[in-house]
Amino acid sequence: MSVEVKNGLDIKKTIRELIKQHGTERAELIPIMQKINADFGYISSEAIEELALLMNLPTNQIFSVATFYRMLSTEPRGKHVIQFCESAPCHVAGSRQVWLALQEALGLENGQTSKDNKWTLLTTSCLGACGIGPVLVIDQNIYGNVQPQQVKNILSRYE
Amino acid sequence: MKAVRSMVLISNDTESIALGANEVFSAFQQKIQDYGLSDEISISFISDIGHNSAAPLVIIYPEAVIYGPVKPDDVLDIVEEHLDKGHIVERKLVPAHELSEHLTWLSSRKGTLPAENRIVLKNVGLIDPENIEDYIALDGYQALGTVLGKTPAETISIIEDSGLRGRGGAGFPTGLKWSFVAKTHIDKKYVVCNADESEPGTFKDRLVLEGDPHAIIEAMAIAAYAVGADEGYVYIRGEYRLAIERMKVAIKQAREYGLLGKNIFSSKFSFDLHVHAGAGAYICGEETALIESIEGKRGEPRSRPPYPTTFGLWGKPTLVNNVETLANIPAIIRNGADWYRSIGTPSSPGTKVYTILGNVNVTGLIEVPMGITLREVITIYAKGMKGGTFKMAQTGGSSGSIIPANLQDTPMDFDSFKTASVSLGSGALLICNEEICVVDLAKVLLNFFRFESCGKCNPCRIGCQKSFEILSNIAEGIGTLQDLEDLQMMANQLYELSNCGLGQTAGSPLKDILTYFHAEVESHIRLKVCPADTCPMSGKTIYHVGQEVKITREHGA
Amino acid sequence: MVKLNIDGKTVKVLEGTTVLKAAEQAGIYIPTLCAHPQLTPYGGCRLCMVEVEGAGTLQPSCTLPVTEGMQIKTNTKKILDARKFVLTLIFSERNHFCMYCQVTDGDCELQNAAYDESMTHWPLQPNWQPYEVDASHKFFVLDHNRCILCRRCVRACNELVGNFTLGFKERGANSFLVADYGVPLGESTCISCGTCVQICPTGALIDRQSAYQGKEIEVDHHLSVCVDCSIGCQRDVLTRDNRLIRIEGDWDTSLNHGLLCEKGRFEPLAKECNRILTPLVRKDGSLKAATWDEAISAIIEKIKPLTGKKEKGLAVLASSRLSTESLALIDEVFNQGFEAAIVTSIEEDQTSSVAAEIAKELGKPFESKLDVLKDTDVALVLGADLATDHQVAGFFLKRQQASGTKLIVAGTKENRFIDKANLKLQQTKGTSLDLIESLTAALVELRKAKVEDLKAADALYSSSEKTGLAIDSLLKTAEYLSSAKKPVIVYGKGFVSNNNKVALKALLEFAALIGKNGAPLVGVKGQANSMAAAQLMLVKPFKADSVQAVYLALGDEIPTKKLTKDLENVPFVAVHAAYSSQLTANADVVLPAAIWAEEEGHYLNSDGRLQKNVKALEAPENVLDTVTTLQKIAELLNVKTKGDWKSQLLARVSSVEITQG
Repeated sequence: MSVEVKNGLDIKKTIRELIKQHGTERAELIPIMQKINADFGYISSEAIEELALLMNLPTNQIFSVATFYRMLSTEPRGKHVIQFCESAPCHVAGSRQVWLALQEALGLENGQTSKDNKWTLLTTSCLGACGIGPVLVIDQNIYGNVQPQQVKNILSRYE
Repeated sequence: MKAVRSMVLISNDTESIALGANEVFSAFQQKIQDYGLSDEISISFISDIGHNSAAPLVIIYPEAVIYGPVKPDDVLDIVEEHLDKGHIVERKLVPAHELSEHLTWLSSRKGTLPAENRIVLKNVGLIDPENIEDYIALDGYQALGTVLGKTPAETISIIEDSGLRGRGGAGFPTGLKWSFVAKTHIDKKYVVCNADESEPGTFKDRLVLEGDPHAIIEAMAIAAYAVGADEGYVYIRGEYRLAIERMKVAIKQAREYGLLGKNIFSSKFSFDLHVHAGAGAYICGEETALIESIEGKRGEPRSRPPYPTTFGLWGKPTLVNNVETLANIPAIIRNGADWYRSIGTPSSPGTKVYTILGNVNVTGLIEVPMGITLREVITIYAKGMKGGTFKMAQTGGSSGSIIPANLQDTPMDFDSFKTASVSLGSGALLICNEEICVVDLAKVLLNFFRFESCGKCNPCRIGCQKSFEILSNIAEGIGTLQDLEDLQMMANQLYELSNCGLGQTAGSPLKDILTYFHAEVESHIRLKVCPADTCPMSGKTIYHVGQEVKITREHGA
Repeated sequence: MVKLNIDGKTVKVLEGTTVLKAAEQAGIYIPTLCAHPQLTPYGGCRLCMVEVEGAGTLQPSCTLPVTEGMQIKTNTKKILDARKFVLTLIFSERNHFCMYCQVTDGDCELQNAAYDESMTHWPLQPNWQPYEVDASHKFFVLDHNRCILCRRCVRACNELVGNFTLGFKERGANSFLVADYGVPLGESTCISCGTCVQICPTGALIDRQSAYQGKEIEVDHHLSVCVDCSIGCQRDVLTRDNRLIRIEGDWDTSLNHGLLCEKGRFEPLAKECNRILTPLVRKDGSLKAATWDEAISAIIEKIKPLTGKKEKGLAVLASSRLSTESLALIDEVFNQGFEAAIVTSIEEDQTSSVAAEIAKELGKPFESKLDVLKDTDVALVLGADLATDHQVAGFFLKRQQASGTKLIVAGTKENRFIDKANLKLQQTKGTSLDLIESLTAALVELRKAKVEDLKAADALYSSSEKTGLAIDSLLKTAEYLSSAKKPVIVYGKGFVSNNNKVALKALLEFAALIGKNGAPLVGVKGQANSMAAAQLMLVKPFKADSVQAVYLALGDEIPTKKLTKDLENVPFVAVHAAYSSQLTANADVVLPAAIWAEEEGHYLNSDGRLQKNVKALEAPENVLDTVTTLQKIAELLNVKTKGDWKSQLLARVSSVEITQG
């Protein structure tokens, strides 16, 4: 997912529309947050406050749920989010070398965003694509059978 | 894969090689070629079959006979008499007492090659998953129609009789679970499909969801009818974007065709289905954590009892079944319980989808009857090790057991695995050669558990973190013998005290590496050597959670 | 009943009881950390594990329901090893350095648990990473190093108080206690009730004002009653060496079962007032220190001539924070004996006086006990800001919202409790009577049989206009109340302002229409002893320009600006007060008074409970309590007193049945 930072007004409007679509039942909290995360790259404190108001939930509960799930972030992320599988099957397929190549190419530690805000580097647990490990996901794109020497080329495809 | 009519497996452990296994292998290659049977017969090595006094052994399928000791001179007879004409060469059969205990079972295994038998994956790859007509054309929704002409109790009987057991990892008898929910007298019940599939090495459910979503819809409708539910949820992990889309399309089409909604097939039975996406948490594969997640809360498992069958989604009786389990239902209804029983083993009927991963030549998915052995999987389906020899395999995903070479012949069904204290789990098979260090692998596994732990109970939250730190220390060459004791204690207590399956099985890798690979782990500690030459051994220390601080001489450490 | 066997002992308990509670009943001790009798079981710490015959692994006794014939063992070697393991893990997770923590030595449940298991050291190396200390809150400190992630504070904030400020972020080893969406406690939605501090088993949450002031176990406990509002929560006053250390709730009490609000728990110790330590008499224009005899003589001199004078006579004013003994004595001495021009309390909240008048008219009590608030499915709150005053009553209601209870709050825009409501009735104009009329009209409209009955619709329309309340809100309120199984109605000073007897009578009629037997009515009434003041009829309106002298028994109340201004032009003012203020600075004679902790006395709370405020401290040397002072004055006035305050209190019918608390 590529991220467009939208201004404060749009967040409220987006959330109101989402509430219209989904309703205010507690069960809709996570699906709504998924959409907010997809559109804005993360769930800001403004978003949490608006959700709290419209869904009649304490901000603490929303924040607590949002930070529990890996796919949701309460911190801003870079324009392109890299997710690298660090689970056992990809490990056995040689993922460590790919990880080192990624770190070298980006100069980032796990969880960090680059200074120019272009990249956020994250490790992730198994994505269910083990047959083509090592696996790398950038935004919505999955790269399989990744070799260390391919890393630079893959990264170069993103603006 | 190419279809062969016979397999020849030759042992190549050290002893066998010393006694001429390589020459026997060459002899077979030559003779089979001479007889023009190269296309029909495959020859492979099998590594480390355990100590026995009849090496080198030659095992031939499908008859599952064991010859030994075999000399290059014996090969002609075996090829001519057995492989070409089909007569067993009695004089070369190994007496049972000379076989290692791991191989005595072979004499009772007669019959066909454990060939693929696609029940769960029947339609996957054959139909357009976004076209309900395709599904219907291949007997789709027929089972649902049949069931609506029976009573719910009769339906449950069929499933109970079939002996189907849960395929998510626990192996709980499915019919029994259905009966628990059916027994409750509450006005509202739910059926939930557990499609959270986050066990590393597992992607079987994804294939069913992406390739044959209607099978799940039909199965859930049957289950709902049987237990008395009128509403269902398919909980699909958030990362499976395509599966979520396809399931939504399938549900929409099913509704259009009147196969979901009110009065299905003009009966009194009404049932509707929703798709609910996860958001990235392995723990939500646990039944009660999944239910909490649907309710919009943190995925923290509940205390049990009460179980979901009596107190589940929003406090109502809820049936939770895995995708693979459900995918068997329509076939069982169509073909009958006896048909299902005829496949697999008595304690574990039916087929299982295994994922083959790791240092083997062919990786992927297979669906075979329960009871296949790991050796058969490696040699027949994975076409042998890709470089190196078999060292260990992790069965059942990251929460499964690490088994050494000498347990390769355990039939993989729920009960055999239990008696050998090995877990079948989700059916993921991660096969490793000697280049994989056990400490490194255990580190990767514990890293997974500490990241995915929900944090509710102390043993798992702190135990996984501590075990990871201890393993990291061992990998850095600063481990102590006390660490081995601590890891053993962690493994035992994680199993004894954790609130849910994640914590309980997080200790399995620890227990197994200490049982089967003690020497290798000790080598890191006593000799500061990583036999697989993988661990950094750089003397660093983990100070902060996730951060590393270098200790050098100057810092006076 | 279910019969089971624990450690060889047969135990019989109700179905649904947990094994932990069953063991407790049988007198068998099982250690716990995350369990608490007031909270729902959590099952997180895994310290309470027991062996259950037939189960493959140990089971947590705090969540496990009993079954018939269960065989339980609570102290096998396996269990003892497991306990040591759990404690070992907890100690290794964060920085639990007992030697630097002042909660140790008997007050830390973690340390106690470790000692109970004979642990002497940390078997696993602790985590050297330093965690945050959040010291932003005015009254307490959150030290994450000592947190054992038991979630008691979270559960207390949610289940006992209904405030939902505290929760956990992230998961696994990164789990961390947060307020709201990760803000410092001092900037959060925390209402400083302090329940989390009280329930925290370790030194993670500690009271700021009593920190580093000596060993926790070396304090004197005084089980007493709060005198900061009319709810009259039971509380434990901790002192040492005649100093106030801390105020806590007591989990075993019946009314508030351990809950307190910031007014009753923290503010008494945060008072920054100057204590009056000597009698003062105005000489040559300024107040000078004097002896008690001098001061009292000065008072008697001025007021004795006013005996019996109704015009330009003596006004005796009393704080409704004073004990019933004091108030009754004031009534006896000055009303009956002295026959002063007016004897009244300075209470501004008229709820208790209006309620008392209605009771007199009806001839019987008409209100219910506060306990009805603890179990309700629809609560209608009229003119009571339970977020600011009488907060504990608000906790009872807020905490049930999560399980579906509907809170309907009617009030003006200053009412902060409206924010918590499921249905907000913000009245922009009109009176309380208009409000009741609109609700009644809605109820009638909802229930009427014929669609063509336009009269009811008209009434609804016009009363909606009068109050500024939307018709669908009114109808929704009526709907909730009609379908409620356990409705309650709460009213407060906003509803009866301007002495609104008519509105209260109308409310009574409205309440009778709800449900089968009418909805119970609860009034929250002003200060700690407003009820007693009303019972003693000390609630007459006071005009400063009609009196010659004022004797004000202020106690430890802080006088309002209005009262101070009112008394400015009274020729002679004598005050018996604990703290100096502009009012005492203006007075002619000032007598030093005891504070709440220094004077024992009885208090009558909102729902008729007669409770005792226990003496916890000795007053400073030259300070006298209200009763003693009044007795001195009575003697010099030649007024004989019986001091039978109980008879005086029970002489009239009360709005709610008076019971011994």
